[in-house]
Formats: sequence, C-alpha cells, structure tokens
Amino acid sequence: MFIDIYCTQEKKYNQNTFGDYFVSKRDPETDRLLAVLSDGLGSGIKANILASMTATMLLKFIEADSDVRKACEIMMNSLPVCQIRKISYSTFSVINCNSEGYTKIVEEGNPQFLWIRNNELLEPECEIITSENFKNRKMHVYRIQLKEGDRLIFCSDGVTQSGLGSDKFKLGLRRKGLVEAVLHKLKEDRFISSRDLSKYIVDFSCSLESDRKAKDDVSAVCIHCRSPRESMVFTGPPYHMEKDNYYANVFKNFEGKKAISGGTTANLISRELNIPIETPVNKNIGKLPSISYMEGVDLVTEGILTLTKTYEYLEDLSEMRNDAAGDLVNFLLNSDCIIFMVGAKLNQAHYDPNLPIEIEIRKNIIKKIAKVLEEKYVKKVTIQFM
Amino acid sequence: MAKVNVKICMGTTCFVMGSSQLQDLVDIVKNKYGEAVEVSGSTCLNHCTNSSEYSKAPYVTVDDTVIQEATIDKVLQEIDRKLKENE
Repeated sequence: MFIDIYCTQEKKYNQNTFGDYFVSKRDPETDRLLAVLSDGLGSGIKANILASMTATMLLKFIEADSDVRKACEIMMNSLPVCQIRKISYSTFSVINCNSEGYTKIVEEGNPQFLWIRNNELLEPECEIITSENFKNRKMHVYRIQLKEGDRLIFCSDGVTQSGLGSDKFKLGLRRKGLVEAVLHKLKEDRFISSRDLSKYIVDFSCSLESDRKAKDDVSAVCIHCRSPRESMVFTGPPYHMEKDNYYANVFKNFEGKKAISGGTTANLISRELNIPIETPVNKNIGKLPSISYMEGVDLVTEGILTLTKTYEYLEDLSEMRNDAAGDLVNFLLNSDCIIFMVGAKLNQAHYDPNLPIEIEIRKNIIKKIAKVLEEKYVKKVTIQFM
Repeated sequence: MAKVNVKICMGTTCFVMGSSQLQDLVDIVKNKYGEAVEVSGSTCLNHCTNSSEYSKAPYVTVDDTVIQEATIDKVLQEIDRKLKENE
C-alpha cells in the first residue's frame, strides 16, 4: 500500500511568510511516513518561527521513536515566549504511519482530523493526555488502522474558520462544513490525488472570504492510501553494449508508466524492441528539443538538457513551462514510486570543449533529481545503474 | 518523383551546437519546395559518437548525404543539388 501525502498552504493576507509549517519524511529503513503540521501563535515571522521549531523538533523526536508525551513537553518548554501575550504557543498534528497502514496520530490544538472511508466519515476513539507543565494543553492520541482507499485530512484553523462573519457561515466553515465540502468533492472525483484535494480545500476556504483574501494562514494536508502508481525513467545506454537487449526488455516488461530521456537511449530501445520513433520538428519550442513519440512509451525526451531543466523546475515549480522538461515534471509528480534506470556509458561528444554550455554528468543530475523528489515531493525513488 | 528526406538531429550535442536554429527549416523548406522535400527530426543520428571528429555537430542528413556543421544555407544547397540530380 502506498501513502500519498501532500500539503497545500496559503499565507494570511498581507503577511510575507507562512505562519503554518508542514514537514514530512519517508524513513526508508523502517518504511514509515512521518509528518507534522503546526500552526504558530499569531501570524507572519513570529508564527513561522514557532511553527517551524515545533514541527522540526517533533519530526526529529518521532523519527527517533521517543515517547510522545516527553517529546511534546520538551518542545513546549523550549518555544520562545510571545512578548505581547506572555505565552508560547503552537498547535500540532503528528502523523506516524507505517506501510501496513498502522497509524498513530497526536493532535494538540488543531481542528480534529477527518478520516474518510467509502465516502463516509469515521469517528475514531482517542486517548487524552494532559500536559504536566501546561494544564490547558491536552494531547489527543489516536491509533488507527488504515485500509486501501482511506483518506485522512488535517488542517489548520484557517480552514475551519474561513468565511467567519459571512452571511452563510456566521461562525466560519467549521469542521462540519469542511466534512460536507470534502465528501461532496470526493463524490465528484473518487480518485482525486492528495495534491488536488489539498489544493481544492485551500481554494475553497479562500473562496469563502470577501475578496478571496485569507484572514489567517490556511493549510490542508491530505493523505490517501492506495496502490502505488509506478513509473520508470530509462536514461543513458548501458555500460556494456551486449546488455542493451537485456535492459531494453526490462523496460518493455515494466508494468507502470514509462519515459525515455535521451536521444541515443531512444534509438537503442527502438532498435532492440523494433519500435519506430517519430520526431516532429516544431518551431519555437523554446530552449529544449521537443518530445518524440514511440508506441508503448508514455514520454520520450532528449537527455541531459531536458533533465537539467527538469531539476530546475522541480526546485521551483513556478518556473515551469510547457516544454519537454515540463512534461517530464508532470510525469514524475503523477507517480509515487519512480525507478531511474541510468546507463553508465559516457557520451564522448558531451566532453567536447567547444560545447557552449555546461553539460552535467548524467549520474549527478539524476542523483539531484532523486533527492528533490524524495525530500520535497515525498516520492519513493530507486536508482539503478546499468 | 521521389521526395527528398531531410533529417535534423535533435540530440543533446547537435541541439546545443545549433540544430535548435535549424528548426526554422520546416517553414523555409515548405515555402520554397512545397511537397517535394520533407523535413523531420531525429532523436540522435549517431554521427557525434561514431565519427572520429566529435566537434562537427550539428548534423543533418539529406537523403543519404551527411552534412556536418550544418547551417540552413548548407542544407538548402544540398537539397538543390539532390533535386537537380533527381530531375
């Protein structure tokens, strides 16, 4: 079972930074997904510092399997105190989920999460632990077993309080309104990705405000348990030419989505599997060679230039354009488990000092792409050199 | 009359060495020769790796003739020559 997680955020109107903070991590050794959402007191930089300290510390603690009560106590003691309110405060939701779906959730201060199965809301039991030093702070601990198809939705109070004071929502959207909106959306699109659902929740919250301006920091974290979408990117010819046929067949027999990145590589697959390549010449397609087409392959691009650009786009999605690298970014982000098959053969032509631009070594650029996919987009990435 | 086939290499080396500009050939050739010549791309023509001289990119083929360090003028000249031959 694969756990698809995504967080969408919007900052409070007129603030220059987010007051909510989200961190997540896949721990490959224990095959766990760890995540923390925190909402800091106030907004702007102060809230951002409180929330990021809270989330980062708690992530470290759960990663080390520390006792939650102790961890929270240490964390709450170490937060800086607000000069105006003379309190230190930040809420949190801690998620610790293994690959079998066994999940432990600790919430303090955030709206209670939604657990949805078969488009119905489930109400799990919880254990309440009161903090020793901070009597008004009660931690809600849930231990639940997720099944394929289940969804979890966490949010900051920016979501449940959106629309506050409006005619329709005098007390804001509240949890009830959020549940209705989410169930309605899921009826429309049962297989919506966590990325799209979290975006929908944030957009919906903002749409309830006058001028669509968020009155508080708004965050939505969605989790969806499902069978993983697997994909393979084949790039570079194998070091030993006699293995070309073997690896071409590995590519052919792979059951998920497939992409080829590299002109020589595409020729190799075409030759070994006897599939013709169609390369249209398009005018004005920007700085990258356009994509080619092969039957049974979802995406065929040029190699190093496209991969280098893909890495740049993954680092900053706002830079993304509608070119071959943009197609590759969408291919990668619409996958959960990605296998990179990386050929170790050197392309002599790339070492020509006359080449006008810096051409990266394939292994390095793939390693960089893998790192950003794992750390920023929480994908499962495997690299196999051949 | 048989069509003349022009293939532009769109591999990494050729692309950075100038084949990105050669894409203009699609329109130029269509305006000049109409349907007599067909332009298409290739993921890699394999000349950069096979040739002992690596620095002759970009490569274009006009039927079976390989043009090294291709420019739009060089390609048009070769197309003219082929068309004359075919007459």
